[in-house]
Amino acid sequence: MTLSTVATEVRPTRSGTPLLAVEGLTCRFGQVVANDSVTFLVQHAEIHAVLGENGAGKSTLMKLVYGVYHPDEGQMHFEGEKVCIDSPAIARRLGIGMVFQDLRLIPAFTVAENIALGLPLKGPRLDRGKVSRQIVEAAERYGLAAEPDALVRTLSIGERQRVEILKALMAGAKLLILDEPTSVLAPQEVDTLFVGLDKLRSQGLSVIIITHKLHEARAICDRVTVLRGGRVILSAVDPAPMSDGELVDAMVGRSVPALPAERPATPPDAATALELKGVSVKGDRGQLALTDVTLSVRKGEILGIAGVSGNGQRELYEVALGLRPAVTGSVKIGSTEVSGPVAAIEAGAVGVPEDPVADAVVPGLSVAEHMALANLKSFRKGLGIDWKSVRDSLGSLEEKAQLRMQGAERTLADLSGGNIQRVMLTRALATPGPFVAAAYPSRALDVATTRRTQELLLEQRAAGAGVLFISEDLDELMELSDRIAVLHSGSVAGVVVPKETDRYEIGRLMLGGGGEH
Amino acid sequence: MGSIRVISSALRPPKLRSAGREAGRLALAFVGALTVFGAFVIAKGANPLTVYSDMVRSTFFNSNSVAGVLVKACPLILAALAVAVPARAGLVNVGGEGQIVIGAVAAGGVGLALDTHVSGGMVIILMLLAGAAAGAIWAGIAGVLRLTLRVNEAISTLLLNYVAIDILLYLIYQPWKDPHGSGQPVTRQLAVPARLPLVGGTQVHVGIFIAIIATLVIWFLMERTSWGFRLRVVGGNSEAARRAGLPVNKLLLSAMLVGGALAGLGGMVHFAGAELQLRAGMTANLGYIAFLASWLARHKPINVAIAALLLASIAVAGDSLQINSGLPAATVNVLMGLVLVAVMGGWELRRKAVAA
Amino acid sequence: MSLVLDVAAGAVGGGTSILYAALGETISERAGVINLGTEGCMLVGALTGYAVAAMTGNPWFGVVAGAGAGGALAALHAMLVIERKASQLASGLVMLFVGLGITSLFGGSFVSRTINAFTPIALPGLSKIPGLGKVLFDHDALTYLSFLMAPAIWWLLFRSRWGLLIRGAGERGEVLAAYGYSPKTIQYLAVVAGGALAGVGGAQLSTAYTNSWFEGMTAGRGFIAVALVIFAAWDPLKAIAGAYLFGAALALSPALQARGYALNQFALDALPYVITVLVLVVLSRKRLHAAPEGLIRTLANAPVR
Repeated sequence: MTLSTVATEVRPTRSGTPLLAVEGLTCRFGQVVANDSVTFLVQHAEIHAVLGENGAGKSTLMKLVYGVYHPDEGQMHFEGEKVCIDSPAIARRLGIGMVFQDLRLIPAFTVAENIALGLPLKGPRLDRGKVSRQIVEAAERYGLAAEPDALVRTLSIGERQRVEILKALMAGAKLLILDEPTSVLAPQEVDTLFVGLDKLRSQGLSVIIITHKLHEARAICDRVTVLRGGRVILSAVDPAPMSDGELVDAMVGRSVPALPAERPATPPDAATALELKGVSVKGDRGQLALTDVTLSVRKGEILGIAGVSGNGQRELYEVALGLRPAVTGSVKIGSTEVSGPVAAIEAGAVGVPEDPVADAVVPGLSVAEHMALANLKSFRKGLGIDWKSVRDSLGSLEEKAQLRMQGAERTLADLSGGNIQRVMLTRALATPGPFVAAAYPSRALDVATTRRTQELLLEQRAAGAGVLFISEDLDELMELSDRIAVLHSGSVAGVVVPKETDRYEIGRLMLGGGGEH
Repeated sequence: MGSIRVISSALRPPKLRSAGREAGRLALAFVGALTVFGAFVIAKGANPLTVYSDMVRSTFFNSNSVAGVLVKACPLILAALAVAVPARAGLVNVGGEGQIVIGAVAAGGVGLALDTHVSGGMVIILMLLAGAAAGAIWAGIAGVLRLTLRVNEAISTLLLNYVAIDILLYLIYQPWKDPHGSGQPVTRQLAVPARLPLVGGTQVHVGIFIAIIATLVIWFLMERTSWGFRLRVVGGNSEAARRAGLPVNKLLLSAMLVGGALAGLGGMVHFAGAELQLRAGMTANLGYIAFLASWLARHKPINVAIAALLLASIAVAGDSLQINSGLPAATVNVLMGLVLVAVMGGWELRRKAVAA
Repeated sequence: MSLVLDVAAGAVGGGTSILYAALGETISERAGVINLGTEGCMLVGALTGYAVAAMTGNPWFGVVAGAGAGGALAALHAMLVIERKASQLASGLVMLFVGLGITSLFGGSFVSRTINAFTPIALPGLSKIPGLGKVLFDHDALTYLSFLMAPAIWWLLFRSRWGLLIRGAGERGEVLAAYGYSPKTIQYLAVVAGGALAGVGGAQLSTAYTNSWFEGMTAGRGFIAVALVIFAAWDPLKAIAGAYLFGAALALSPALQARGYALNQFALDALPYVITVLVLVVLSRKRLHAAPEGLIRTLANAPVR
């Protein structure tokens, strides 16, 4: 099979008519063609991966199938019938369920209340007993354990995902769409999820997994459809006989230059850039989110932080930059004791936050004003602010970072997530400093910008900065980090050197070091 | 009207267009509000056209009324700025009424104690200081509650309005009641030298200059200083401000204190320039009208002052309603409310959700 | 009768209007919309209730009309904040203003009118219980109705399917939207229901409690109701206790005066507001955690997401 041709021929099906047949689907947003004449087939009782990088049109395609968006052209058949899916309600009635990446659950509600929202209930009364019985029954049938009266707030991400899947199944789904289901899970939890999905397949249900991770597509999926730039590149192929290279080429369409593999080693006597000694930190709800963490990052070193999300990464980032007080222990940047954000900023620390919209973006302010905000002291002029020097420095930052940032006068409220991230990265990474904390820096970025971001982190390292690099992508962590510290429920479960370990060892640590491996 | 004026000439035409659109939208909102208000007037058996022409004629073509508008505008402008400054920092100060009352009470206390002993100019300066300080403290209570205990400042300032009014009532019914008066619960009148001087031969007192100067100062602080910029950051996203190392709590408190001081100053001006004695109901909802003015002008200082002037003329026009149409003066509250409804209803969601 | 019983009975009678408003505001805030215009809704409810009672001679018609007027004003608030995304706090105050203006425009002619007011009905048997009987069972019909209303609204919010939707709209509307419900419609209905109950509260004030109409007669009761909802942790049953606490603060002044105590009247008048602030101070930090997510964004001025 040649990868350059668009493969649209329909492969023979296992049971006659496919469960879902999408033909010539086109969806435009203004000038952008998000899906261009997409043809897509899902058979009964199969697990089907939709592969592609960010912006390839995977999510758009799934939202078309689920009725969130409406196609401009093309048609869909479900179970052999021509259907017009105008809304998610219609999709659900047909038997299509979707589990979104940002799980659609209400934390303050119990599992039963959340599931009740998805059930077609009638009448004024909410019969909790009946809903609970149905949950227990369904949990048993599908092998997805769930406690009806537990508050969703208290569940782990993996458990919440299970509730979402159960909710979709109880609403009668025959086709389940999972959007990037593994991005928040440890490798072992991924295994558990896949065992569950396998069981659903054996009961005759079909599952679509949206992902950009090849090995997952290989591990569980019967067929793979690859999208790039809104077009189908590979249609419903069996991934087994294909090489990783072939699949990557199909996804990316161009080869991404590899990062320099050989880097000068961090000198063993390099000064520490960040030092945490016996640090404990409280989380937002007052519980201990970090317990007795001792870590150090040397100058010229990238320390990767791995872990299932919600195991203290956010708190680690915040305590390192003085944004969250340590209950016990001490935090030092260089030789400065970090007592608060001002101390950290004065010691030269910068950060790329995990959730910029919540924590760093002032919607009404412009790009230039955000640059001034990062270093207000140095731009002061009398009572006011020296906007001319702000603009001058903005120009030079842009030139160094090469991240194709939007114009200086654009208001951040008008920018997309990716463009906001470019502002954050330019602001933090363009000038060399003693210490950088980067939380998930390549989120919402395309492959090329992700690569540039990684290069910037390596440039910081080369210029002698200590880098604390938090990510949920093990590949990225192993590629960039000199050492990786693994967090599990607020403690350092272990520190490993990427060259001397493998994914499963890290996964074992992510789950707390015990486990079956 | 952002604080950076770096926009290249290429960007100007759309800016002008949007200013034009804004003015058009305001005009439309006004027409809408007048129409609905007209329906209410008809329901009361009056002819809206007569009512409107009476309002305009008696307000703008009568030197006494024009003076009345300016006199009413003095405390209104100051109290509206008192809403605008905290609003820049994301705080909702609904306590203008209470802050005016407390400012007037403090000024009254100082003024009535000293006006027969000290020179008039001295008394006026002391009254200004006392009014501003008292207003700042009153707003500061709500500010401190917000910062330490996360009590929402909109609710606490509202409730403190009633407490302030009860303090005023207590004072004028008992300790400060004029012993030589007719038995009415009022204080005696401020001695003539301690009153705010009148401008030329008019009924307008120098408070109007205080209001104008305050507007310009606040404009400068908001639009041209680092403090104003930092307040905007705190108001836009306090977490981002904290992470940039800004002293968020100090900034919030400073906004609240400056706001309170402005309203307190308004109370002093109202007392020493217009009312000359403390009495029940002396504030006549000025604090609430000021709140509307600030929201009407989206908290931009110069626009706030203009909006306050506009609402002051509507309020004065209300008096002519009572005389000419027999409608109660408070009827114009409907008109003010409707103008705000129309403006808010036409309010584009400017801070639209940051695109995910 | 002893002072305590007198104040307690006054608390129930005087707290009822606040209770209705607080119950309504609980529904509205559970759906994620805070309505400072509750004060305005009470005012229009009080005048409309009084006026219709005066014109028809039947106070029940007044109550229904009061509910309609309160609901209509709340609908305007709902439109501004839900449709036009106006600031909830500012829009609420505008509603207060509209309420003040409309009631002074139309209220003048009713100041001196008399009506067939609700009269206290001593419930046979129950009212003879020593102490408690006088406190709880010698009231007007609207007060008795409020005894039923509070648990009914609790059931609505926590035991019914509609309550699930109301609370869902206040927590995360996008989740409801994902299941084909319209969070906007739910919020509209909740805000209007809240305004209608505030209108009933206002009507209770004018047609059952004071039996009169005068300008600005609600005197901040609506604001107290809003504050009350917060420290009742958005629970209708806890709101009962809160409402009677303020009823008691209101009843204290006349009860003491009737006994000739030389206490300062203005200190007593300020009491309900001071108590409200103090209770907010004591409870607020803890309570905010219990708030619907949508409301936290408004109350804590969190950034717009």
